Amino acid sequence: MRAIEPIAWAALVAAGIAVYLGGSVYAVGVAFSLCTAVALTQSWALFSALTGYVSLGAVVFYGLGAYVTVLMFGETPLLLVLAVAALAAGGFAFLIGWPVLRVRGPYFVILSFGLAELVKNLVMLNEDRLGQFSRMMFAAPDLGTLYLLMLGCAIAATLVAWLVRRGRFGDGLRAIRENEEAAETLGVPVTRLKIAAFVLSAIIPGVVGGLATLRTGYFEPSTVFDPTISLSVVTMALVGGGDDTRGPVLGALFFLLLSEVLWARLPQLYVIVLGVMLIAFVLFLPRGIAGLLPKAGGRAT
Amino acid sequence: MSQLLSTQLLFAALLTGALYGLISLGLNLVYGTLRLLNVAHGDLVMIGAYTAYWAMTLAGIPPVASVFLAAALCAGLGWLAYTALFRRLLANAEIARRLESNSLLVFFGLSIIIQNVFALAFTASPRGYQYLSDVYEFAGVSTSGSRLLSFAVAAGLCAATYLFLRFNLFGLAVRGLIERPAAAEIVGIDVDRVRIVSFCAGFALAGVAGVLVSQTEQINPFMGFPFTITAFVVIILGGLGNIKAGLAASFVLGAIETYGVALTSANLRSVLIYGIFILVLLVRPQGLLGKAAR
Repeated sequence: MRAIEPIAWAALVAAGIAVYLGGSVYAVGVAFSLCTAVALTQSWALFSALTGYVSLGAVVFYGLGAYVTVLMFGETPLLLVLAVAALAAGGFAFLIGWPVLRVRGPYFVILSFGLAELVKNLVMLNEDRLGQFSRMMFAAPDLGTLYLLMLGCAIAATLVAWLVRRGRFGDGLRAIRENEEAAETLGVPVTRLKIAAFVLSAIIPGVVGGLATLRTGYFEPSTVFDPTISLSVVTMALVGGGDDTRGPVLGALFFLLLSEVLWARLPQLYVIVLGVMLIAFVLFLPRGIAGLLPKAGGRAT
Repeated sequence: MSQLLSTQLLFAALLTGALYGLISLGLNLVYGTLRLLNVAHGDLVMIGAYTAYWAMTLAGIPPVASVFLAAALCAGLGWLAYTALFRRLLANAEIARRLESNSLLVFFGLSIIIQNVFALAFTASPRGYQYLSDVYEFAGVSTSGSRLLSFAVAAGLCAATYLFLRFNLFGLAVRGLIERPAAAEIVGIDVDRVRIVSFCAGFALAGVAGVLVSQTEQINPFMGFPFTITAFVVIILGGLGNIKAGLAASFVLGAIETYGVALTSANLRSVLIYGIFILVLLVRPQGLLGKAAR
């Protein structure tokens, strides 16, 4: 396993680049969706799977990134726009981190959902006030460029997830999940670790939201803050296995196949399948698909 | 400003409060006895509403009768969910370690399944029907018969449930389990039976509330979630598992919402509800009124 794993990762990245170089528009589109899913799910699992603070509001960072991008795009260079999107999402996580992460267990779960809905409604209200119902974006970069950036996000999110999991930082986060009081007593700086992981899990989704909106060239608050996005992310992480760097990639691949088959024709059926998978994996396979694979690299990852 | 002092607005606040009371009472029963947060609770309201709609339009059965139909249907769903899913959840050690978050995910999964099955079966377009829509006037209030009926049934059921929990022996067992879960088992309360009855009763109350809501509002498959949120606000305000304070909190929230919207605009309604919800969770998740039931 030790020898095969790095090869598998390298092959995935190579395939990602090959699609950019020689893939059809359709293939690039599919790969774009896959990278979006990987980047979002890795980021979610980095915080929620490691600390046990299950968030149902992952979409809020994605949506904020999208909103910042649509507000700024046009006069500002693309990379600067994306940097501000990252900063906005990370900054928001930092601002709400201290009060929000004091709330634990099931209360945190419903709080995270409510928070995302509140931000959605506030953005809708603001757009109403500005007399905007939806916005179109013209002269967006071509799909190839956006895809390369999204591939970069997916690789970065996976690398960050891997680095965090193997270091002391990851051990501290797991300690919070297992027993927060005990961890605190033993000198783990729980509040600082939680906020740091929360911010870290927000930054890349901010960029991803911006890129995804540029791809569609169309912005509507109810689309970019759609709770279905949060749901997909949670389900992908649980199906793949959240406690493992490989899990989110496996989960994203699995749901990519599913959505290619169902999403376009029967979106409601797709969401129903998401719900069924969510329940089935919580009840029968809480470690996800990755839990069925041999452990990576000797130590628990 | 004088509009704010009108009895019309007061009645609207009381009606909203009574409906919230009924819905959150059901959520409270499930949470109190099982310590599981049911995020699919509002979807049961939706199921009740559709039951009333189809009973009325297909068979001409009026809401006064379909209330029983909806209660039975939702209680049946509760029995099914409890025996098929939650017994297993409570029994599995690895899941029980993070039971509350995991059960929430299961309820969340159920919620989206219910919503989308309804959307697939009946389309997502809103529906409505006419029932007792002639307007009555008294004490400066002009209101339809259906609203009066809603208020009477909601307030009556809230009172009846409260009295049952206070004076009936089985009701006392329910309260015992809510207030002292460990002690309840020791004094010989059949915990599994109390749980399943509370679970079904909680579901049934939500179904009844759905029937009442469908008389005066348009219904659609995704109407449930706002009710879930308001029910959470209510039981968090009142303290989880605390029935009496929860009922008081329903009327407080009904008043805040009705007067808040009257003072500002209908656009702000969601922001208002979510804002209160988050504030309450941040400030005091154990509940603002009364002592926390632990």
